[in-house]
Amino acid sequence: MAPTLGNLALWLSLVFAGLQLYNTRKKKKFKIIAISVKGLLISSLFSFFLLIYLHVISDFSVLNVFQNSHTTKPLFYKITAVWGNHEGSMLLWIIVLTIFNYFIFKLYNKKNFIFVSKALEIQSFISLGFIIFTILTSNPFERIVPTQENGLGFNPILQDPALAIHPPLLYIGYVGLSAAFSISVATLALENGEKFPWYIYMKPFVMVSWTFLTIGIALGSLWAYYELGWGGWWFWDPVENASFMPWLLGTALLHSLIIVEKKQSLQAWVLLLSILAFLLSVVGTFLVRSGILTSVHTFALDPTRGVYILLFIAILSGYSLMLFSSKSKIYFTNNYFNFFSKEGAILVNNIIMVVACATVLLGTIYPLLIEALTNNKISIGEPYYNSTVVPIMLPALFIMGVGPILSWGNDSGLRIAKRISPTFLITLLMTIIIFLIYKSYTFLGIAGIIIAFWIIFNNLTILYRNKFSNLTGMVVAHLGVGFLILGITASSIWQVEKIIKMKLKTETEINEYQVIFNKINEVKGANYLALRGDFLIYNKEKKIIAKLQPENRFYPVTGNFTSEASIHTNLFRDLYIVLGEGNINDGWTIRLYYNPLVIWIWIGALTMFLGGIISINKSLRKIIE
Amino acid sequence: MKNQFLKLPIIIFFIILFIFFYLLIIDRNPSKVPSALLNKSVPSFNAETLFKNKKFSSSEEFGGQVILVNFFATWCKPCRNEHVFIKRFAEDQNIKVIGINYKDDAEKAIEWLKKLGNPYSSVAIDKNGKIAIDWGVYGIPETFIVNSKGKIKYRHVGAITAKRYKKINQIIKEIE
Repeated sequence: MAPTLGNLALWLSLVFAGLQLYNTRKKKKFKIIAISVKGLLISSLFSFFLLIYLHVISDFSVLNVFQNSHTTKPLFYKITAVWGNHEGSMLLWIIVLTIFNYFIFKLYNKKNFIFVSKALEIQSFISLGFIIFTILTSNPFERIVPTQENGLGFNPILQDPALAIHPPLLYIGYVGLSAAFSISVATLALENGEKFPWYIYMKPFVMVSWTFLTIGIALGSLWAYYELGWGGWWFWDPVENASFMPWLLGTALLHSLIIVEKKQSLQAWVLLLSILAFLLSVVGTFLVRSGILTSVHTFALDPTRGVYILLFIAILSGYSLMLFSSKSKIYFTNNYFNFFSKEGAILVNNIIMVVACATVLLGTIYPLLIEALTNNKISIGEPYYNSTVVPIMLPALFIMGVGPILSWGNDSGLRIAKRISPTFLITLLMTIIIFLIYKSYTFLGIAGIIIAFWIIFNNLTILYRNKFSNLTGMVVAHLGVGFLILGITASSIWQVEKIIKMKLKTETEINEYQVIFNKINEVKGANYLALRGDFLIYNKEKKIIAKLQPENRFYPVTGNFTSEASIHTNLFRDLYIVLGEGNINDGWTIRLYYNPLVIWIWIGALTMFLGGIISINKSLRKIIE
Repeated sequence: MKNQFLKLPIIIFFIILFIFFYLLIIDRNPSKVPSALLNKSVPSFNAETLFKNKKFSSSEEFGGQVILVNFFATWCKPCRNEHVFIKRFAEDQNIKVIGINYKDDAEKAIEWLKKLGNPYSSVAIDKNGKIAIDWGVYGIPETFIVNSKGKIKYRHVGAITAKRYKKINQIIKEIE
């Protein structure tokens, strides 16, 4: 019964999306459009909740539930398994699309009927594409005959709170860009020129996307950090890149929208950026879903899905980019910027973000390009990105430190120097102090630390001088970037790794800490069995500061082994222990990491998120006015 | 001049899309990974077997005919998916298939094969993954084609799908 209803709701949302396309195209009355928008929202939400329900009651007559669930699984993970697989995550993508669709609809007022209708028309086309894709190639309500007794279980390394909410957050980010795309295409198609303030409509969507992409990516990396047990938090995996590229373009978009708002220039550039940002999100989906490249995230190898998404991208990009090349002329303005001004700084930031995005894109698709041309397989990894993207980003980050202090229009070098000199001194001082503590020098290390303190203190100064103003959101977000850079730099250049074999009751040292392998026990969890090590950590004064208990877990249902790192965190460093293979006679392989300041990566991301939330509020108020 | 410049995004985008499309439609296998063992003799190994409780010795098993070697485990979902094709190799094509049970529980494996059918002429137990290391396996399922002289001719990483099944059959015909 429920699966049939779910299927029906999915088909209904297809009908409503079609109706919305038709009604907005024919410029029907507001009431008629309202029915299709609300119908689409309700029917897609209904089918999504039905899928959750099927997972909760473990209805194994549904293929999707059978393949991804098991009766022994905790309720929370029964729910999150809904979007932990391909079919369910497509359904999630659809409901986020229709929610944004509804928000665009809410923008209607007396003056903007034609514009919002056009945006809704584009948005309904995107929804249609994804709904048809889901129904044809990835229907989550497909049945399995005969009904199975129990499910195959769910990959245990995905059973994690951070990863449970990572996809929804990331999807809000990706799909929010669809709204910016629709607004951009509507603006180009309507040709009403600079007279209509389309950018005010676009801004909150870009804000929401950027904010949620930031926190979504951060949660993914946090998960990778404590769950994969490799001591690292970013691996330049194609799927990570797929989320990083829209983020870079989103960042550029966010900043150039400010210029458009203040100076009405750069309009054509912003229209292009918003189109590309969403297209890259869909390309990201394609890379992940088509199985065209292999990565730790590869979900499904199904070429028909790939061909479908590709066709859809071709239509979207063909239409939007053609429109851009033929109709963007009126949005070009010949404005010249003073280099020492806020807009000058933002422009440099823009160029760098786009170059960085292109570099990541090149690294991601280059192996495919080479394979298509020469039939050879190559792989591109960390060394490429570290030696290209990192240096490209450095000047942008440096300018970011001063950007908020600069004034609009014209600023003089002397005045700037006066404003930044206190920060300059504190930065210098802090950098010297931190290098006295860690005593290891590399060019990137020094540059990273200086930039981090530079950004942090400049923004703290602004925050202190202006108290709460309409700058607060931006300043808080920038402060977050400072923390983030501090964490990234310190944990990359001063990480200590130690891999040794330890027997029970033996001890070892890492940095100034003494680690004693005290016990090993078997423990039983909700749906796993585990071997749990017991390590005592002593500091220099021979006091116990922590008891770390890394585990090796076995999940009988899926037959997976996972290792759970155990981490002791404070603001200065993480101690990270992973229990490896071994036995009582030979001892166990133990991996120990000392990760300085690593927590600041996520404090930074969280601060950026908060800054984003504050700014969303502000940009929403502007539309209402 | 400016107009030409504006067409750049769409041109670049379509070049990228074309590459993707080309890679999707050509008979490409992203999981075909070159093996260092190609055209070399099979690594020799001895192991316990499931069912027969007799020792498995690679020197006795290989040679004389084309043999498939399939690494599998009961905990591996794709292995379950490809199992129908492994069975078709053994039953429809009459090919000798040697199974290597990778890091698995023997009792479970026996139960699994009883339930799904056993296409293997014999199953070597690779409890700690040592055989897999010698064969250069990096993730199961993996399937190798060994010719009548005991040389490895082809390696397939990942589950066998309907399309791959045909392709592998074709390769076996060529080798024979």
